[in-house]
Amino acid sequence: MSIIKVDNLVKSFGDIKVIKNLSFMLEQGKCIALLGPNGAGKTTTLRMLSGLMKPSSGDISFSGIRAGTDIRSFIGYLPQHPVFYEWMSGEEFLVYVGQLARLSKKESKKRADELLELVGISESKKRRIGKYSGGMKQRLGIAQAIIHRPKMIMLDEPVSALDPFGRREVLQLLDNLKQETTVLFSTHILNDAEEICDEILFLHDGEIVESGTMEQLNSRHTQSKMEVVFKEPAKKFLSEFAQMPAIETFSFEGNKASFVVKDLDIVKKTLLKEAVQKDWPLVKFEISRTTLEDIFMKVVKK
Amino acid sequence: MEILETVNWALILPILIIQLVLFVVALIDLVKIEKTNGPKWLWAIIILFVNIIGPILYFVIGRRNH
Amino acid sequence: MSQWVSLFKKEMLEMARNFKWIWVPITFILLGVMDPLTTFYMPQILDAAGGLPEGTVIEIPTPAPVDVLMMSLSQFSTIGVLLIILTSMGAVAGERKSGVAELILVKPVSYGSFITTKWAAMLCLLWVSFLAGYLASWYYISVLFEQIPIVEVFISFAIYGIWLSFVLSVTIFFSSLFKSPGAAGAASLAFVIILSLVSGTLAHIFEWSPAQLMGYAEGVLRTGTLQDHSVSSIVFSVACCIVILMGSTYVFKKKELAS
Repeated sequence: MSIIKVDNLVKSFGDIKVIKNLSFMLEQGKCIALLGPNGAGKTTTLRMLSGLMKPSSGDISFSGIRAGTDIRSFIGYLPQHPVFYEWMSGEEFLVYVGQLARLSKKESKKRADELLELVGISESKKRRIGKYSGGMKQRLGIAQAIIHRPKMIMLDEPVSALDPFGRREVLQLLDNLKQETTVLFSTHILNDAEEICDEILFLHDGEIVESGTMEQLNSRHTQSKMEVVFKEPAKKFLSEFAQMPAIETFSFEGNKASFVVKDLDIVKKTLLKEAVQKDWPLVKFEISRTTLEDIFMKVVKK
Repeated sequence: MEILETVNWALILPILIIQLVLFVVALIDLVKIEKTNGPKWLWAIIILFVNIIGPILYFVIGRRNH
Repeated sequence: MSQWVSLFKKEMLEMARNFKWIWVPITFILLGVMDPLTTFYMPQILDAAGGLPEGTVIEIPTPAPVDVLMMSLSQFSTIGVLLIILTSMGAVAGERKSGVAELILVKPVSYGSFITTKWAAMLCLLWVSFLAGYLASWYYISVLFEQIPIVEVFISFAIYGIWLSFVLSVTIFFSSLFKSPGAAGAASLAFVIILSLVSGTLAHIFEWSPAQLMGYAEGVLRTGTLQDHSVSSIVFSVACCIVILMGSTYVFKKKELAS
């Protein structure tokens, strides 16, 4: 079941179109990554989805929510650089925000305690937020986003500012959250997306250039790669091979030759047969698959 | 100092007291706060040596919110 | 409603934590007692300062108590107004500039409550501080000069408090309009000065202007009765505050939070 549907979303600042005609649909209970290089329009998109920014045109609709109700009750949002009331303690802030999200004071206190434990800052809950480290603020930010048990949470680059250790922990946290709610987060790092997401939306220059589940993306884009290294310049042996219809792209680099192939079997057989017959001075023969990283680069360069 | 005898201390004393409160509160706040607009030591000097106006100026200008 | 209370409590707590509840009333008290004291002790001060040739007889007529109270009132209308603007110009703009508004307003918070709670909390601080300062001035005048009837003092206090509330409302408006507290403060100050100047020079046309309230407060003190147009000016000013608050909510809502 879809939770959010976006149709022809456009956002311009002055003459500059930052978001050009975005349309997508997100499934409930999934973890979706909004992946793209810096400046692709990720933050703008999330801000529009969370209601902080109005689209220039287009439509955002949440399913299962009656028209006219405040969508903010159903979503949690964490900006890229969350700013808090530094004079409050972490606990006070959570209880306050919980009450703003229409929890009773009692509920809010209970929930705040739970969440401080969950995100791992309960030891510092009485300390002023002004004294928190960046990682602690990020955790507090996640806690405030989910305090009212939203149907969907949106996080803007939740792990970019963290060290590798903190990043690991926050990703783990998001992975756990998948069980309770739909998670949409933006990142410019493919690894983060690959690690915990079911689906990826590639955003580039304000447009979705590719999207799908991990399996779909893999089957659509991964191809076999072949790498052959000789003791002598590779061109000498393989220049004819490059003409084979089963080979999509090829490149020579000194002693090394790389191919992306359409039909692995044919290419492999021909090449190995030749190698044995002519006694080629082979050093390395490797078959691998293209990764999402390659797709990401391809998509971005398009 | 003739003036000291004519002064009505019942009127001056309360003022000295609230002035002291203002002074102490400003100093406490300055010690606790992380950052001020402008260097902290400068504000310490202003609070310590500029009577009445110093602490008020600190609260109005020197204190950084959030 | 409970949400409004939460927002309001937060504002009150913040003003306690950053000591506004201490230093603003104290400043108003100091402003209030300054003129009664210096006026009363002027001869001694001049004497102690010396520099006057031997035998100079200092003769300063003792001013009427109402005149001294008016001196205090004019302190409130200059430094007091400046203080109100400076302490409230960041109420909305500061939170938007720092980015914390983004976290708060992504929760189902009414924009109107967000603005009005800030206004209401500042209003409490303003009235308490002004009351403390005005009463202090009145008390010192009673001891050093003569007592002014307390009823008239309270009526003039209420009338002038409405002008200060108007100034606060204007500041909250500009704070909602601009992202920078400094710009909000400058705009508020400019607005108040221009309004005062225009109302002052064209007093016969702008009898209902909020800026005339100081004159009406003085009128009560001097004559013991409300001047003509006092009521219309009061009603108009209160109405202005309400309209300005609605306008603040409107401009704040229309503005993009994030940019």
